[in-house]
Amino acid sequence: MAPINLSHRRTHNLLLISKLLSLRDTASPLTLVLDSLEQPATPLLKEYIRRAKLSKVHVTLVAFETLKQPDGVDAFVSTRRKSPADIVKEVSAVYQPVAASNSSRRRLILIDSINPLLNSKRVDPGFDLSSFLGSIIAPTSPSAKIDVSLVVTHHQDVPELPQQSPYSPSPISVLTYLATSIITLHSFSHVLAQKAARDRSLAPPVFGLEEEQEGILLGRLDRLAGTGQAEGIVIELEHRRKSGRGVLEWYLLPPASRYSPQHPKEIVTLLDDNVLYNPPMERDPSAGDEEPTSTFELGLTDRQRREREGVVLPYFDAQHNDGPGEGGRILYDMGEEDDFDEEEDEI
Amino acid sequence: MPSQPPLPPLLASYVSNLPDSSLTLVSSILGATSNWLVLRFLHAALSAPNPNVAFGSDEPQNGIKKKVVLVSFMRSYEFWRTEAKRLGLDLARLADKQQFAFIDGLSELFYAPQATSTPPSISPAGLGSPRTTLPMRSPPGAVPGRSPQPVPTARGVRGNVTTKAEPGIAKKLQFSGRGLASLDALEKDISSVIEQQKSSMEDGDELLLIIDQPDLLLAATGPSMGIGATEISEWITALQQSAHATVLTLATDAPLIQNASTSDVKMATPLETEHAALVIGLAHRAQSVMQLRTLDTGAAKDVSGVLRISRGGGLNTSEKENLEEREALYFIQRDGGVRVFGRGES
Repeated sequence: MAPINLSHRRTHNLLLISKLLSLRDTASPLTLVLDSLEQPATPLLKEYIRRAKLSKVHVTLVAFETLKQPDGVDAFVSTRRKSPADIVKEVSAVYQPVAASNSSRRRLILIDSINPLLNSKRVDPGFDLSSFLGSIIAPTSPSAKIDVSLVVTHHQDVPELPQQSPYSPSPISVLTYLATSIITLHSFSHVLAQKAARDRSLAPPVFGLEEEQEGILLGRLDRLAGTGQAEGIVIELEHRRKSGRGVLEWYLLPPASRYSPQHPKEIVTLLDDNVLYNPPMERDPSAGDEEPTSTFELGLTDRQRREREGVVLPYFDAQHNDGPGEGGRILYDMGEEDDFDEEEDEI
Repeated sequence: MPSQPPLPPLLASYVSNLPDSSLTLVSSILGATSNWLVLRFLHAALSAPNPNVAFGSDEPQNGIKKKVVLVSFMRSYEFWRTEAKRLGLDLARLADKQQFAFIDGLSELFYAPQATSTPPSISPAGLGSPRTTLPMRSPPGAVPGRSPQPVPTARGVRGNVTTKAEPGIAKKLQFSGRGLASLDALEKDISSVIEQQKSSMEDGDELLLIIDQPDLLLAATGPSMGIGATEISEWITALQQSAHATVLTLATDAPLIQNASTSDVKMATPLETEHAALVIGLAHRAQSVMQLRTLDTGAAKDVSGVLRISRGGGLNTSEKENLEEREALYFIQRDGGVRVFGRGES
């Protein structure tokens, strides 16, 4: 892509991801995070929590698979043996004391995995995912204006159960339809390996479950960890603006060990700006039509070039004269160094 | 070949000192079973702190006593007892010392012995009884000679919980009813044993819960009984809460995982879908996943299989992630000793 384009993306899209992760201006009320065993969403959720702490946002974790309250989470809602309606009630209940004290107007709700809810046998058939998510986001009391951002994690590799009603859309289609931003996570080392294969027109390698090798669940081996190579997670973001226009961008989130928890500046970079993903060209592409070097002078001097341009080739001349028969003449202007031989040139 | 230390040095850091409220997943396939690894977990937690073992120096036995509750759905107590003996662990003695409790999820899970009230001295004989179809169930003749340890377990609420106190077996699980209620009953049985173990625990003691192949429950009940992957993993969550660390073994044979994972979901049976959802969902929760598989290049004389240790998707409560991912080969010798070594080493 053109370099102008890249600098444009650098300014606008970095601002966008910064806004999304820091939950500014309720840029995205419902963010869907699609992860897999190859790249779990844990580092991203930690990053969300870290930024929320920096800007004093109230964090609620709705735990479908987390056992204990992690650091930085203000309210922990366990979902065991609870109906969706109870979960909604409890999520709004934990915020009541905070809302009363008026300390924070913004709120982040994380759902660590939506899959157990979707696959549950207990949930009655009338369960509606969109109204469930909607009632979590919707403010409890219309007078108090709270900005709520909901981040829902969905494990892509957990198989979906067949639908009870064949006419209703699958839960994942509902989720992707509702979400204002969709974040798909990839492992950086895998992205690099796949790019290296693509650059050589080879089939990109697959990892983990996709290898379809018996006994392999996870393919990730962090051989590169600690070496400063290929660490971090790749974020593929699809953001839908209010206008309806979509933004697609790939980012790189460095591992948490690279920066301090209080680091105020933006740490996410564009994937295209990464040295490993997009190694700098060895030669400037604008100087690509340079001559090969040799001991001979292969170039032309100015005079030689001028004279070469002055030569009128025969077929140009032939086009001026109309009619056939004129074509076969040899046009030649004698130079001073030419030795005209009368006999030889007589036809 | 020289006899191996009970705990291979390469494994020691992975099977001992499991972090608090962690979940460790051991995945196995038919050709590479997980029993030896479970025994290594048992050994790491239960072996006496005498310094004659190779890893004795780095084992921080600073007064932390460890207890183990083993729930086995696939193998009988006899199996574990004999195998542990080969490692130098006397499970019967440890059970007497309240350091170890075995919960039998195999023998009477779906089979209610009608003679629940008969004294235990009769049942081992099993004379002419047409119901003793599973021979491994009957305790061997040597064991009744030992004074039968009266297991002072809190009895389950259900009346048909076996009252028979077989030595070493703290409880036999029995499945009854359907849906969540039956899982609740199982959970109550297991946690009563855990609580009983905990009653003799001091501060700082750790209780390790090992559940061997809980996927049997899913396979044997299934969606028609109102039990699916979500229900089983919630059940595991509940048990996890009462233990310091939890180790699960699950099967990851190709048909159980990959039929549902491929794009052609329509072809997968409910069991395949549910099993894959359970195993992959638990791997997302686990702090570490130990995957066993056979050698990619086929059978070999001196290699039994490949062990790959990876980090799972679980949220680490502690900040430092010190689990180093690695892949190693292992070889189970004739005497039960296991050698774990890197590729290219021998």
